[in-house]
Amino acid sequence: MTLIDVRLQEALDGDRDPATLPADLREAYERLVRAAVMLRDAPVASVADRVMTEVRRAPAHPAPGVARRLAGWLAEPRAFTVRLRPLWTLALAAALGAVLFLPGEESVAPGAEEGIAQFVGHFPGARSVDVVGSFNDWRPGALPLRDEDHDGIWHGAVVLPAGQHEYMFVVDGERWVADPLAGRYVDDGFGGGRQNAVLIVRP
Amino acid sequence: MSDGPPDPEVIARILAGDGEAFGVLIRRYEPGLLRFATRMLGDPDAAADAVAESLVRAYRHLAQCRDPARLRSWLYRITGNRCRSHLARRGSGDLSLDDANPPAVADAADTWVTLERGEQVALVERALAALSPEKREAFVLKHVEGMSYDEMAAATGARIPTLKMRVHRAREALLEALEELV
Repeated sequence: MTLIDVRLQEALDGDRDPATLPADLREAYERLVRAAVMLRDAPVASVADRVMTEVRRAPAHPAPGVARRLAGWLAEPRAFTVRLRPLWTLALAAALGAVLFLPGEESVAPGAEEGIAQFVGHFPGARSVDVVGSFNDWRPGALPLRDEDHDGIWHGAVVLPAGQHEYMFVVDGERWVADPLAGRYVDDGFGGGRQNAVLIVRP
Repeated sequence: MSDGPPDPEVIARILAGDGEAFGVLIRRYEPGLLRFATRMLGDPDAAADAVAESLVRAYRHLAQCRDPARLRSWLYRITGNRCRSHLARRGSGDLSLDDANPPAVADAADTWVTLERGEQVALVERALAALSPEKREAFVLKHVEGMSYDEMAAATGARIPTLKMRVHRAREALLEALEELV
């Protein structure tokens, strides 16, 4: 492959006026620009109807069934069970036991195919921390964590269907953070190597 | 950005339950996404499938769009991933020349200026198809979609120096391919 003159690269990057190029480089510049213009003409039939058909079939945002179900779970007193987490997460949870085992949560009783997921994160200085995930349509605000004593340790719990769920913390409404205490992660599916945390809820 | 409400406003409407508002985003970004996918895959039908699947996926995961002001980059990222999956399933990242549009009819007497425009386009498409998917993507995002390197980084997840190198190498390969017909 032939290396091309750095001045031509600069002109193509918009960092140099192409009029300042010598004639041979200007010809090469114009050839590449013409090629790019040709590639802009790519007539393909619209897929808008196909997509909107699927959109109308999909659950609306926010998914009303999930939202109503979660609201119902949270409103009803239930017995408390603890989801299995990595050992040192459990240690942190134990240290927070007095806070976590709140009277209202002790009586939570999930159904046969449900379990309680509890979330703990250390975010000193945060104004808010939400949990978003596959179980709440990744909607900030649906599951806010609490930090009653303002020590930067945020926590909360929710009843979820048994099985695998993906989730992230959203700090101050804008910073998405994978739970550093999660034992498992999966690619978020959008490239860039970012990962969602994974939790497994056992009934 | 085209006319109409800004992307974050449209996204807020959709997330509040107005699914029909997604049509605004389709009209806004579909032409570029189809062009991008067509250039990546060299096949209009496969490109249409890739874009349709990407847009449906984007709708379902719209709440995961972490920066609504950069929706365009997010959509290109999803579509780029879909194109890469398609190429991987096809078994080779490089488009076969048979997969691309028919080769231009050129003989020793031809020069660039004597070729019909359709033949010129076919030559350029063949040269693009011969690039690796990474270089092809970088060249198309830069010179066909007109993205800045910042936008390209958001759309691909690659670092800016890496993208610059890919664009530079793609230019060199294309220029060399097209110089055969000076």
